[in-house]
Amino acid sequence: MDDTGTDDSRPQFLSSQNAEFLINSVDAFLFDCDGVIWKGDTLIDGVPETLEMLRSKGKKLVFVTNNSTKSRKQYAKKFQTFGISVNEEEIFSSSFAAAAYLKSINFPKEKKVYVIGEEGILEELELVGYTCLGGPEDGNKRIQLNSNFFFEHDKDVGAVVVGLDQYINYYKLQYGTLCIRENSGCLFIATNRDAIGHLTSQEWPGAGTMVAAICGSTQKEPIVVGKPSTFMMDFLLERFQIDTPKMCMVGDRLDTDILFGKNAGCKTLLVFSGVTTTSDLQGPTNSIQPDYYTSTVSDLMQSRLTM
Amino acid sequence: MLGSFKFSVKAASAEPLKDANELINSVETFIFDCDGVIWKGDNLIEGVPETLDMLRSKGKRLVFVTNNSTKSRKQYGKKFETLGLAVNEEEIFASSFAASAYLQSIDFPKDKKVYVIGEDGILKELELAGFQYLGGPDDGNKKIELKPGFYMEHDENVGAVVVGFDRYFNYYKVQYGTLCIRENPGCLFIATNRDAVTHLTDAQEWAGGGSMVGAIRGSTQKEPVVVGKPSTFMMDYLSKKFNILKSQICMVGDRLDTDVLFGQNGGCKSLLVLSGVTNLSMLRSPENPIQPDFYTSKVSDLLSLTAASV
Repeated sequence: MDDTGTDDSRPQFLSSQNAEFLINSVDAFLFDCDGVIWKGDTLIDGVPETLEMLRSKGKKLVFVTNNSTKSRKQYAKKFQTFGISVNEEEIFSSSFAAAAYLKSINFPKEKKVYVIGEEGILEELELVGYTCLGGPEDGNKRIQLNSNFFFEHDKDVGAVVVGLDQYINYYKLQYGTLCIRENSGCLFIATNRDAIGHLTSQEWPGAGTMVAAICGSTQKEPIVVGKPSTFMMDFLLERFQIDTPKMCMVGDRLDTDILFGKNAGCKTLLVFSGVTTTSDLQGPTNSIQPDYYTSTVSDLMQSRLTM
Repeated sequence: MLGSFKFSVKAASAEPLKDANELINSVETFIFDCDGVIWKGDNLIEGVPETLDMLRSKGKRLVFVTNNSTKSRKQYGKKFETLGLAVNEEEIFASSFAASAYLQSIDFPKDKKVYVIGEDGILKELELAGFQYLGGPDDGNKKIELKPGFYMEHDENVGAVVVGFDRYFNYYKVQYGTLCIRENPGCLFIATNRDAVTHLTDAQEWAGGGSMVGAIRGSTQKEPVVVGKPSTFMMDYLSKKFNILKSQICMVGDRLDTDVLFGQNGGCKSLLVLSGVTNLSMLRSPENPIQPDFYTSKVSDLLSLTAASV
């Protein structure tokens, strides 16, 4: 059996032999969260034991999620409620990525950031000292379309950050649009562009919706900080100093997780516990092939190493 | 600038309108955009009534085609009336009407429903054509709660989702429309228009239908059928309805990527007016590939530029 895992066109089903090989060949596992660790507020079976097993083998664990609604701190709490102990420093949410990006380009502290998104983004931006406008509160604001009403916007907004926003409304679309179109040099940053995601056990529109709405009104393309953009990966590599071939990205989504891993030269493992099905993987329109695939993360436990 | 060997596919530059008579005599029908051409917000643009009267007296057919889907043609008729313009409902073609005309043209079954992410104008036109609809402004009050046990149902009989400008836009509607398009087999995704911004008041630009349509493209990863400008659907509809040759039409508008492109795609003459969103430097910009046949400051130049040559 060819277990070098280098044949791009044929993803391998994760057997106990493969699982052993995979675990031995990497030093770190990067996990997506929605559809991999949990689904909404429901923990996926076997996850805590699997993570413990990997840690006991000395593997580094990193959690990379495109879901920007929580900050890393809030995510650490979520892990805790499931009885899984994860350090804040091991979590890389796209909310954190947005703040890290602005910091990396020395975005001036006297400029403001308009947020079309939720608490997670506001928290992370405020943690690094940026002034935010917008966020969930603007979900209560309405507009009036008559000749006496002029929609004002803050000329000091130097960046608009767009992520998943269940409180999306016209006011925010208009505010963000005016900033990008009228404030000279205003940046348009997207936490991610996922079309849909498992926010509860059902699929819901993702950040890709809000981002595309702003693309529609500004006719501009955003800087994307979340998967599959390499920004988070570059940040991780610098932080953890591990070579990418010694990392395995585990995710449920081909066009973010698996592409993210492949672009960086990591090994990749697709799980079917989230948005992707076998027919999506094998379908004629799919060109993204993971190294391995399996039903769920806990299949890693079938490795002979764990017996 | 780069030398004489540069092979350019750029259209010949637009000419300033000098002899309006020649243009008027060369066509039978004038199609006018509304926002930025006839009115700005709620204010009539100077000289418009007299110009329309002059054109009618010369036997020209007048048609008004607007991408604004918030009103039905009947409601637009009232707006024209309020501004003192004699325009018949049958001469008005808003993108709200276009959506319903499109569904009729493909024999959309009356036992299927239409989910609307948009305003009253669309609802009224669908109702007039006998289609059942769900959604619209009322769904602007619906909230969702992303917590365990919350499940959003959607009507499996929805066979089309129509998306246009929606000031009551919210996450509930995005999810409803997305579920219909992704899960109801054969469900159509129709956009009234994709304008990025629009002058809903005359003081400033407002995020347009392109925003709401963009959102649904983002969540479904599908492309919509566009019924408004610059798609030729309305042009084909008009030429068939009034039995007019497209070469006999002049499109008058203020926007290059909708009005002028609409005219060009349809094989009509095009006249850009600078009384709306486009100014001369935008027209002349090297980044602009769309050149109308003529340009002028405002619609009433059709009147004033003829008087001089009498």
